[in-house]
Amino acid sequence: MGSDAGVSTTTAALAAHGLSKRFKKKVALDAVDLAVPRGSVTALVGPNGAGKTTLIRVCMAFERPNSGRVEVDGVDPWKHRSDALKRVGYVPQTPAVYRGLSVEDQLALARSLHHGFDVAYARRRLEQLGIPLDQRADTLSGGQAAQLGLAVALGTRAKVLLLDEPLANLDPLARREFIQVLLDAVKSDGSTALLSSHIVTDVEDACDRLVILGGGKVRLDCPLEEARRGHRLTAADSPPAGATAVGSFLSKDGKDVMTLWRLAPDDTAGAEPGQESEAASLEDVVLGYLAAGRGTAGLQLN
Amino acid sequence: MLTRIWLTYKQHWFETGAILVVCLGLTAAALIEAFRLNSMNVPFHCFQNWQGPYFPGSGQPVPDAATLKCNNMVEGFQGIVQSLDMNLVRTLLVFTPILGGIIVGAPLVAREIEQGTAPLSWALSGSRRRWLLGKVLAGVLLLVPVMLAVGFAADVLQGADSPGLNTHAAFENYVSRGVIDVFWALAAFAGTFALGTMLGRTLPAIILALVVCFFVRVAWEAAMNHYVLWPFAKSDVSFIANGYYVGQINIPLYEKVYIDGKEATDAEVQAWYMKNQPPIDVPSQDPNATPDPNSSTAPGQLVPVVPAQPAVDLQFPQYVGYGIPGAWYWNVVALESGLLLVGSLFLGGIAFVWVDRRRPY
Repeated sequence: MGSDAGVSTTTAALAAHGLSKRFKKKVALDAVDLAVPRGSVTALVGPNGAGKTTLIRVCMAFERPNSGRVEVDGVDPWKHRSDALKRVGYVPQTPAVYRGLSVEDQLALARSLHHGFDVAYARRRLEQLGIPLDQRADTLSGGQAAQLGLAVALGTRAKVLLLDEPLANLDPLARREFIQVLLDAVKSDGSTALLSSHIVTDVEDACDRLVILGGGKVRLDCPLEEARRGHRLTAADSPPAGATAVGSFLSKDGKDVMTLWRLAPDDTAGAEPGQESEAASLEDVVLGYLAAGRGTAGLQLN
Repeated sequence: MLTRIWLTYKQHWFETGAILVVCLGLTAAALIEAFRLNSMNVPFHCFQNWQGPYFPGSGQPVPDAATLKCNNMVEGFQGIVQSLDMNLVRTLLVFTPILGGIIVGAPLVAREIEQGTAPLSWALSGSRRRWLLGKVLAGVLLLVPVMLAVGFAADVLQGADSPGLNTHAAFENYVSRGVIDVFWALAAFAGTFALGTMLGRTLPAIILALVVCFFVRVAWEAAMNHYVLWPFAKSDVSFIANGYYVGQINIPLYEKVYIDGKEATDAEVQAWYMKNQPPIDVPSQDPNATPDPNSSTAPGQLVPVVPAQPAVDLQFPQYVGYGIPGAWYWNVVALESGLLLVGSLFLGGIAFVWVDRRRPY
């Protein structure tokens, strides 16, 4: 189910080829194939422990793959780390702020570390958000710290942005602001972003592509719109015409077992689905694939 | 690079400030203690003639007024030398270079890993080694001048504490004063930031470094004497000039026994005594012997050799001490500083290799 949406890995901003990573006996990534097209904002969604962070860390050359490889803008980060990292803007899982340094100092440090870091650009973004540059970074609110992390990543003017669950600790308003700044930057710079999250609703308005990762495997990799239109949901085991079952999970009220169906490719263009089926939300799609990954297809209520 | 160095100081402002305050404070304290001693202006002959305190009614001959004045001055001087504050300053002078190196080195990498900033730093920098180099340079630029100041103050205090001693031609406390202080600090710094890089934790790195440095410091002089300086030892005889030997402090290492000008083994010496049973045992020539308080000489002065003739001419077993002459002070300091520097580079090299391979968390 890997890179199946017609994205050539040669044109991909970020690509994984048979990528596997184990931590002792635990398999974090299992033969992952992935291609993130240039200019896209891709949501990397999966539950905790799905391998999202590991995938990003391999792309950052923080982890060495056991087999397979990744390419960031065509460069293997493990073989050519310095070259690869020049092309990446990275936002870590928890906001990385240097205690004791002001916001302005953080930008100065980023400039001293990264050749070509655009301080003016980063500063402008922070000023637009009303974040005082002379404030100590460790006294910023969670949302401000996340914005600082994003500003530093954007200041690198990198072609590829890797964001490792940056929204996890933000309140709804801060999330929205963060997403907005990210989208503005991606549109204006033409960069590519891979945004990981374990909550799909966080990212569904921001992204144009969805990658579902579960149990170290890519469960789904397709444009967001295709994910929405290509799946149906039923409360019974009666499949829509030409559809294949993906996975079953409990409904929101906990009373029914819902089954996600994947429509045949032709049906996504307007074929009439089964009468008892309903449109699947993006959350349903994710739940269906994750349930399939956990082997809970066919879940029965007592 | 200057920006990065400056920001490294700001990042580690507590350690930077603590080192500056402690080292400059200690330097000032040592210089003040030295000034207190020097300002007493005790004439040199007072030290030479001092026979201990005079107790009236003790049966001791009553000293004349000049001697009494001299004695009082020497006792005042000794009072300062043995005072609590002087001992505290001396102790701190021994340990501050190592502690300074540890305090600056431990958080250099470990804190970035602990606080979660290492992934960002390494992502921004691309080259982790270049990133580490900037931080190491900041540490070195901080430690070198402050430890030079501490070493200089320790030298001055040693000179004031031992009147008549040429501190650059004597090995008294030479491992904890002067330029070698800088190299102690650098070795502790390199070792500790290597530990911090490997462990990724500041406190364990500090604790481990303290233990290792303690043993290294305690064993250093013995190890140097037995493994490094041993081959360079010179005999007492070579110190003799014009019938005198120079009574400078030196590093005694070992003795050899000569019979009829030839080096003898213990068994040969024993056999010689069994055979000849000489009526008088002639004492060995030991230039390190504590000066006789009745003598009119002091360290640094020329002392008559008794007997003033080459040992090899004597007809009985002659014990000749071997050691390092005080005149070799700078050579020995350069050698030991060089060894510490090589150790620092080795440990630093480990950190540079490790940082490239480790995870940033």
